[in-house]
Amino acid sequence: MDLRIPRVPLLVAVVALISLSSAASPTADDLVAELETLRSQSPSGVIHLDDRSVARFLTSAPVPRPYSLLVFFDGASKADHHRRRLRSEFALVSSSFAAHHASSPASSRRVFFCDLEYQESESSFSLFGITSLPDIHHVGPEHHSLRDSDRMDQSKFSGLAESMAQFVAAKTRLPVGPIVRPPPISSRQIAFLAVALLISAPFLVKRILEGKTMLHRLWMGLALSVYFLSVAGIMHNIIHKIPMYVQDRNDPNRLIFFVKGYGMQLGVEGLAVGFLYTIVGLIVAFATHVLVRMRNEAVQRGFMLVAMVVVFWAVRKVIYLHNWKTGYRVHTFWPTRWR
Amino acid sequence: MAATAETKGPSALRNAFGGVLGVFILLLIGVLAFSIRIFSVIKYESVIHEFDPYFNYRVTQYLTKNGIYDFWNWFDDRTWYPLGRVIGGTVYPGLTLTAGSMWWYVLDMVETVCVFTAPIFSANAAWATYLLTKEVKGTGAGLIAAALLAMVPSYISRSVAGSYDNEAVAIFALVFTFYLYVKTLNTGSLFYATLNALSYFYMVVLGTLLASLVPVVGFNAVMTSEHFASFLVFMENVTLKHNDHYNIEEAFSWHYAQLECCFRRTYASKYIPIIASVSEHQPPTWPSYFMDINVLAFLVPAGIIACFLPLSDASSFAVLYLVTSVYFSGVMVRLMLVLAPAACIMSGIALSEAYDVFTRSIKLQLPNILDNSPDAGDINSVSSIAQNDASKIDSHATTNKSETVSKERPSRKNRKKEKEKEIVEKVPSNSENKKRLLVLPLEASAVSILLLIVLGGFYVVHCVWAAAEAYSAPSIVLTSYAPDGLHVFDDFREAYAWLRHNTDVDDKVASWWDYGYQTTAMANRTVIVDNNTWNNTHIATVGTAMSSPEKAAWEIFNSLDVKYVLVVFGGLVGYPSDDINKFLWMVRIGGGVFPHIREPDYLRDGQYRIDAQATPTMLNCLMYKLSYYRFVETDGKAFDRVRRTEIGKKYFKLTHFEEVFTTHHWMVRIYKLKPPKNRIRGKLKKPRSTSKSSSSNQKRAGNTQKNPWQ
Repeated sequence: MDLRIPRVPLLVAVVALISLSSAASPTADDLVAELETLRSQSPSGVIHLDDRSVARFLTSAPVPRPYSLLVFFDGASKADHHRRRLRSEFALVSSSFAAHHASSPASSRRVFFCDLEYQESESSFSLFGITSLPDIHHVGPEHHSLRDSDRMDQSKFSGLAESMAQFVAAKTRLPVGPIVRPPPISSRQIAFLAVALLISAPFLVKRILEGKTMLHRLWMGLALSVYFLSVAGIMHNIIHKIPMYVQDRNDPNRLIFFVKGYGMQLGVEGLAVGFLYTIVGLIVAFATHVLVRMRNEAVQRGFMLVAMVVVFWAVRKVIYLHNWKTGYRVHTFWPTRWR
Repeated sequence: MAATAETKGPSALRNAFGGVLGVFILLLIGVLAFSIRIFSVIKYESVIHEFDPYFNYRVTQYLTKNGIYDFWNWFDDRTWYPLGRVIGGTVYPGLTLTAGSMWWYVLDMVETVCVFTAPIFSANAAWATYLLTKEVKGTGAGLIAAALLAMVPSYISRSVAGSYDNEAVAIFALVFTFYLYVKTLNTGSLFYATLNALSYFYMVVLGTLLASLVPVVGFNAVMTSEHFASFLVFMENVTLKHNDHYNIEEAFSWHYAQLECCFRRTYASKYIPIIASVSEHQPPTWPSYFMDINVLAFLVPAGIIACFLPLSDASSFAVLYLVTSVYFSGVMVRLMLVLAPAACIMSGIALSEAYDVFTRSIKLQLPNILDNSPDAGDINSVSSIAQNDASKIDSHATTNKSETVSKERPSRKNRKKEKEKEIVEKVPSNSENKKRLLVLPLEASAVSILLLIVLGGFYVVHCVWAAAEAYSAPSIVLTSYAPDGLHVFDDFREAYAWLRHNTDVDDKVASWWDYGYQTTAMANRTVIVDNNTWNNTHIATVGTAMSSPEKAAWEIFNSLDVKYVLVVFGGLVGYPSDDINKFLWMVRIGGGVFPHIREPDYLRDGQYRIDAQATPTMLNCLMYKLSYYRFVETDGKAFDRVRRTEIGKKYFKLTHFEEVFTTHHWMVRIYKLKPPKNRIRGKLKKPRSTSKSSSSNQKRAGNTQKNPWQ
């Protein structure tokens, strides 16, 4: 019972404190309004923060804050494919959240999506204790120290907006709503393609009707491209969603196109070797079917020279790459007596 | 060909000589195909390989012992205990019947027949490839394609001596069916059509395309309407007369089956972890192509283009076959096997065309150069020879063309005569203009031939290396080279022999499904699950038991009447495909059915580890305990050579299991379930205040309770 008595003075003290602090720094409502204007300036609703705004909205803002922030930690370099994808997924979550809560400003005022860039705001990164990129933290209303903010577990977010939305919903208790993904081809592109197809249709139909050879060439081209894509291991890259290249961890300016290991390949790597596989066959076919019909012997000789050099180089390159990648050393077997 | 045979004189002799030489070459190709596959017998011994062949071997044994009727009605109670498995109805009998008849007519030793079935059928497949390619682009291409197929690594990997499996025979059946089909197309003969239907039926009986390449598709696939429809479509096409679209339809009906498999695969990998757990079902990367078809990967595009110049029924079929198989090989590395014959055919065509052009260039120009310098008088005769040769080549090409055209028509003999007349008329016009000879510069041709030979030589070296080093390990006997010499690890057979000689014939042995076929075939003991992964729940039960703590596992195994548990452990010798490395799949498969098994419980920060950082769930599960029990006694540190770390929990005792046998290199460890009375004693330990008299009473009660195994 006697515990109740001190409450009134405590309340008075708190109110006094708040009114005092509000005199010195902007009120919570001011901050929210400011955040909202910042949000409206960005197309996806992701607010770009820097050291000054971090101080304003997070470190110096009185706790509990009336909002929570989701901060995406980004780097300046645009080369990292994985990070760029994560960043766009993060923007998707942000815009989906805004769309879902468009009718209820009260809840949309409670969560803001922001990003921070390392080169600009290095000190904020150390405040959060960020050691690796990319990273996503949730700063709740109650978090005093930024180091205590909730980190999105790297293994949990598979990089998809859906799993990020789960994290956001779990931490803020506000549903993000369905993720609205933009269609892969915009309506303008569809219209352009349709017009292009309509214009070219009569020509195509005419060419096809003209004779079998056109159809055969088309078929041959398709067969060759299916072959090229298959030996390039493109299905592997599609199924496992492998990027074209990755950034070197030790040197951010260097890109890695080839990796070691039998069961793994990058996009560029597969396409390059698929090209080498295909080019040799094409050259052989060219020599046996086209070059042989040419009259000029000098031209034939020149082409043959170039063809042989290219073929030799391509085969050697593939053999070298295969040995390098797999570590296999193919060797011959001779009778013991011969050694 | 008939046209050339009709010509008299030296050319007839030449043709006869060519025919004999061709047969001789084919014979050598057969010998090559057979002998490149017996590295495994020479390096190891004449033994059945791996997992599935042991099942086939066991089925063949049953067939030879009990006859075909018993085989057809065979219900196997030695596997999938307590469910059993209807083998007669669920197995594709093609392979078994083939080997069975070989045993019946040729050789009286079942194991020898089984070991050498695959090499024999590889030789057959090479000959079938010759026939098919000959139909598409002539004898030269056929011979090259056959030689390439005889040693293509992709096919070797499935058909070394001892790998007694459907694939080895199925490739022969596939190529031969295609040959008969193309032959039917080219000749319009009802005889070939009938043969073709029979061969297609044989291929279906082998069931390989549908099922053995993709294990999700069970026996149902044969009975499902889609597949039956494909069969009907094909029969219909054979009985009806031919039209141009016909080959496309057939190819599609066949590939539909494959397509279905691939769709099922995507479904399966999403929902059934077992399928995803097998690495053969992953899409391949570019090194896989270089490893499996080697330089053929370079030559195939040239073959495709050659097939279009000109496009005939047969060559369009070849292109269809290649394109579909290359696409599917890109989806699943296992289907590389279906690509291999297509790649050989295409490369054979490409090489043949290239050699044709280059040798022609040399042949027609070399005499001119040689004779130009010493004596100018002979030019006339030489050039006339050259022209004759050239005209022969041209006439050859045209007769070939005329053949393919005329074969579709009934009155082909008349047409052929007309064509010959045309050719005779053409000859003088050809000889008039030397520029019209399709030749390349002499020296460039010579160097190109040299380069192609080097390329072929590299292919041979690679294939022999792959056959000898990569694909010949039986995986039942392992070897390793150490500085002090060769080490042989024969632990698997040691363990199975122990089971066979030291356990009761009706005892049940539990292990992960990989070892099911081997246990039934070699130890002749009943298993709970085996490599025919038809019942996911049953496998999940075993996975759950392996992932559970000792007591829960004991209860699961006890409820299945299991008496022995077998685990494979590679930590001592560094054998990487052991049960600890497969363990996460056990957890996943178990957790798929029994949700109390959760994968994160076994992972520390998303990492699978067995060292001091491992989770308590991991360190207490049955698989960990059975694998690492007493492991510390080996080197005092308990250093696992596969995971390259010291294990997390070194000293522990087993409460519900006892070790009964561990093989020489610790690769197989067999444990026996302790009888239930121990469990009662363990229970009584907790309430320590209970009087001794009551415990002894209970003990007696436990003793009087009938032991379920005795």
